[in-house]
Amino acid sequence: MNGAEPMRVLVTGGSGLVGKAIEHVVKQEGGCLKGEQWTFLYSKEANLVDLQQTRAVFEKYRPTHVIHLAAKVGGLYLHMKDNLHFLRDNLRINDNVLQTSHEMGVTKVVSCLSSCIFPDKTTYPIDESMIHNGPPHDSNFGYSHAKRMIDIQNRGYFAQHGRHYTAVIPTNVYGPYDNFNFENGHVLSALMHKTYAAKKEGTPLQVWGSGTPRRQFIYSLDVARLFLWVLREYDEIDPIILSVGEEEELTIKDAVEMIADALDFKGQIVFDTSKSDGQMKKTASNAKLRRYLPDFTFTPLSEGIKKTCDWFVHNYDIART
Amino acid sequence: MEHFAEREMDSETKTEPMRVLVTGGSGLVGKAIEHMVKQEGGCLEGEQWTFLCSKEANLVDLQQTRAVFEKYRPTHVIHLAAKVGGLYLHMKENLNFLRDNLRINDNVLQTSHEMGVTKVVSCLSSCIFPDKTTYPIDESMIHNGPPHDSNFGYSHAKRMIDIQNRGYFEQHKHRYTAVIPTNVYGPYDNFNFENGHVLSALMHKTYAAKKEGTPLQVWGSGTPRRQFIYSLDVARLFLWVLREYDEIDPIILSVGEEEELTIKDAVEMIADALDFKGQIVFDTSKSDGQIKKTASNAKLRRYLPDFTFTPLSEGIKKTCDWFVNNYDIART
Repeated sequence: MNGAEPMRVLVTGGSGLVGKAIEHVVKQEGGCLKGEQWTFLYSKEANLVDLQQTRAVFEKYRPTHVIHLAAKVGGLYLHMKDNLHFLRDNLRINDNVLQTSHEMGVTKVVSCLSSCIFPDKTTYPIDESMIHNGPPHDSNFGYSHAKRMIDIQNRGYFAQHGRHYTAVIPTNVYGPYDNFNFENGHVLSALMHKTYAAKKEGTPLQVWGSGTPRRQFIYSLDVARLFLWVLREYDEIDPIILSVGEEEELTIKDAVEMIADALDFKGQIVFDTSKSDGQMKKTASNAKLRRYLPDFTFTPLSEGIKKTCDWFVHNYDIART
Repeated sequence: MEHFAEREMDSETKTEPMRVLVTGGSGLVGKAIEHMVKQEGGCLEGEQWTFLCSKEANLVDLQQTRAVFEKYRPTHVIHLAAKVGGLYLHMKENLNFLRDNLRINDNVLQTSHEMGVTKVVSCLSSCIFPDKTTYPIDESMIHNGPPHDSNFGYSHAKRMIDIQNRGYFEQHKHRYTAVIPTNVYGPYDNFNFENGHVLSALMHKTYAAKKEGTPLQVWGSGTPRRQFIYSLDVARLFLWVLREYDEIDPIILSVGEEEELTIKDAVEMIADALDFKGQIVFDTSKSDGQIKKTASNAKLRRYLPDFTFTPLSEGIKKTCDWFVNNYDIART
């Protein structure tokens, strides 16, 4: 990559789970190189569903690079009720960000997909070549199709304009600054909050679903470190999965037990099987990542859960609940 | 108190005659529907049919879309408008085809929803099906793999209509649906050599070759196989879908698999129809596009076992005659 001018990086969705992790790595782990400017955008500053606001914020910061994390996003139960809104708002956000980036000569955009967008009926493990090989899980088809479209847009910007816009595909991310809301939060965060509340109130911990679905969890700071590598070094237009290996896959029930340990919860754990499980598995392959970075070390899950629980307890007042 | 919105959405209750807005009304399928409605009794008593041209409203623009909906206040929409072209144009401009069509479709569907339109029938295309697939393709297979590379932008935008229809049904109970014609041909098509659909471009080339006494240059090898459907047949079926077809899932409008033939066979029919006796040359340096995209019309046949399609040689003859007689106004 030509280092003629230092990067001005704009991170959309800067206040979210991944955005905050990138900010931490940039500001506190030496992720920012000399002369670079990093701007972490919040939705208060610009509503990216609106084209004019998107353009205004790009004109203000004149980024050379964009990490595009902003999305309308929620947990399983919110998506099931609102698929049309998730589809339309995310299509609009992504078109605004990518088109404005193109018009303003942004060198590189790295967008954020999700492993939940993969085909529902599929062989495992899933890899990057399989994204479009069948319909996504029904529960969040709106969000999934909008996210998949980013990959198509990236191909279009490359085919028509030679732009190197690409995307990453993290599996289930968790960490500080997530949405810990019972209903709308990601699974681990919602469970941490529920466990904390159950402990405080002396009630059983009610887990929605059977606890049997299997997931690969990746700590947000690991995602952030990998995002910086993708921004600087990864040259493909095709996306790359950011995940722990297949052997790290475990059940929701296993994860609940780790959370109970981390928060020292000793009460009863009840699984409400009347609630939806979502997908039973979505095992992703990290072989492509490993070909590029054979030595990358992921934060062990129990350690990441402990750190996140500690953060949540100490920051309860500012956490999104 | 009666809930107005529920009454409006109940397509079974024929309390008011339909006001139908046809977007893309000046195109190949739009003109065929107009012919059916105005000249073959396709319009029922009291109905109002408006055929929209892009001059009247640019549907890529939301304000213009809203304005035209407010002007005509349709109860039903046949949504044909799209940024569309032949193989070679798509290959150069996939991003533009993606973005413009996503915008048009969102504007039309969302405005329809906001204004309480009872039913929207959109128009997909068999070119959007997965490229690597088993044959024949049916309606359940649309999203089972990437479309052919040549027009991935257009294809993904069109596929998105099916997702939007599901979203509008799930969230708002709207019965918005879509049809999937295979290769359509007929009067009023785009006959441009480069940007037109294959049969139309070939008719124009044959006409020009005959006039100038030159060989007929066909792009590609002539071996790809296609099912062709005459635009007036598409129009008749569109009216049936609008009035009778209740599913959200789309329906393929096509002749049967046994009617599939090669481009070369079609070229010979065109040469017959235009009485072209010169040399026919296949330029294999030009792309063929997809080699086959055989679609099943089993779903259509379950609903309409007795529907009679216009035979291809007859449809080609009628279209060639139209083209020759209307050369001055044809899109070339």
